[in-house]
Amino acid sequence: MEVVVGAIVVPVEGVQALQVLTILFGAPLVSGVIAHFEARLQGRRGPRILQPYYDIAKYFRKETLVTEESSWVFLAGPIVAFACYLTVPMLIPVLTTFPLPLGYTGDIMGGGFILALAGFAVALAGAESGAPYAQLGSSRAMTFGALIEPTILFVIFAVALITRTDLPYALSATIRSSASQMVRPSHVLAAAAFFLVVLVDTGRIPVETHSGTLEFGMIDEARTLEHSGPPLALLKWGSTMKQLILYTILINVFVAPWGLASSQSLGSVLLAIVALLAKAMAVGGVFAIIDNLFSKLRLFKITEFVASAFLLAVLSVLVFYAGGG
Amino acid sequence: MHHVPSTYDGITAGLAVLVLLSEFAMLRAPLLRSQVRLYAFQSLVVASLAVFVAASKHIDELYVLAALSLLLKVLLVPGLIMRLLRDADTDLAGSSVLGVASAILIAIVVAAFGFFAVGSLHVSSSSLPTSALSIACAIVLVAFVLIILRKDVVSQAIGFFSLENGVSIASLVVASGLPLIVDVAFLFDLLVAVVVFGVIMRVHHLRNDTLSTHDFDRLRG
Repeated sequence: MEVVVGAIVVPVEGVQALQVLTILFGAPLVSGVIAHFEARLQGRRGPRILQPYYDIAKYFRKETLVTEESSWVFLAGPIVAFACYLTVPMLIPVLTTFPLPLGYTGDIMGGGFILALAGFAVALAGAESGAPYAQLGSSRAMTFGALIEPTILFVIFAVALITRTDLPYALSATIRSSASQMVRPSHVLAAAAFFLVVLVDTGRIPVETHSGTLEFGMIDEARTLEHSGPPLALLKWGSTMKQLILYTILINVFVAPWGLASSQSLGSVLLAIVALLAKAMAVGGVFAIIDNLFSKLRLFKITEFVASAFLLAVLSVLVFYAGGG
Repeated sequence: MHHVPSTYDGITAGLAVLVLLSEFAMLRAPLLRSQVRLYAFQSLVVASLAVFVAASKHIDELYVLAALSLLLKVLLVPGLIMRLLRDADTDLAGSSVLGVASAILIAIVVAAFGFFAVGSLHVSSSSLPTSALSIACAIVLVAFVLIILRKDVVSQAIGFFSLENGVSIASLVVASGLPLIVDVAFLFDLLVAVVVFGVIMRVHHLRNDTLSTHDFDRLRG
């Protein structure tokens, strides 16, 4: 007897777990596709699409070396960060339009805090290594993270004003509800500001070369220079997950919340997984193109970039209050 | 007070915001050339806003206004300034009193003041959402910031011209049914300003070999 895939109903807990698993196992794939695409863009042949998986598997087989100066924080940091990245997908609409049981345990602010905690844990581990470049990276990451924070705050304000809640599911549903929600200026501006935030947070522009090997130009990458073995694997895996999480928020909450499963049938959930990964790859492609079109700014010009992101976010709130929202 | 604006209101306010954003971009632009291009872009957005309003509200006079401003503000004025710049061969404005980030922060504060000051007037209009008037006021104020902070003739001239763009958005809000002749008079005022600024630019550059207004506070015989 044939079983129709679409007719099987996945329990809510199953969908909840699938959200996390999609991010967990899809993230290296998305990163691999983007890296491959970027290489093609620059006229190189580029690594295999599955290369991130091979890298992570290789690091898991290697031994862990720890410098004499560092304490347990050095090893705990990657684990805490990884746990954070596993938590966030429960709070955001990854696969479904309807909120899952754990979806209301944290709002968009809570998700932001958990992401910030992950960044903090990695920075702390980097600082604990006692190596100059890792410490430099940690210090820079925290400084620039603080600069971009007001923008994120104002984006959250805008979301809260538009939906009168600050749940990511609510904004996603609001945007899906009508075309006038999509073109309203406060939403467009908030989405544009968040786009710039994601650009900064995934190490694209304005100042960072995310794939560079020059220590002085590094910010996020430098923090992990001293790690090796399984902790390094967790860090690499975590950074691909962070990227996919940010893309997911950008896509499913702000820009294109379509293709999500509206029921618990297996078919629609599977379709949602494919749609999410495809959309994430498309967004990653756009980011790669932007990254390659614009020259990097000097390090201290980062305030200009952050000021423009802040401008968009503030205008979004102002326009809402002026009644045009 | 919570209501979702209609698609029409959303798009028109969005276009007005785009004009405001290009005003902010002028604050950031380091090259004189890019500033002129931004002005042309801004005028293009204003013209398309007029066309959009004309098409949706069936106000035929606005088509004429849009065509005129397209001709004057997108093609003629930028072309003229570009020619003056080519003669002056100075590329960098690079003369802001403040850094870009601080300039933008100040402009944000000023724009916010404009928003709330006009927002409390509760002017309602049939053609555009009320927020467009707030945005127009913010555009005018940010243009003033540009004029105050930049110390070269070209940026100040561009600031003045773009101020007129803000005024035309405001006129779309409060008086889109106004007789065409009044709007056209506005445009010709702009032309006068262009001539005056053009003469200033040229004479100043001929005499002092610079476009900076920094030397203006020194008395000369």
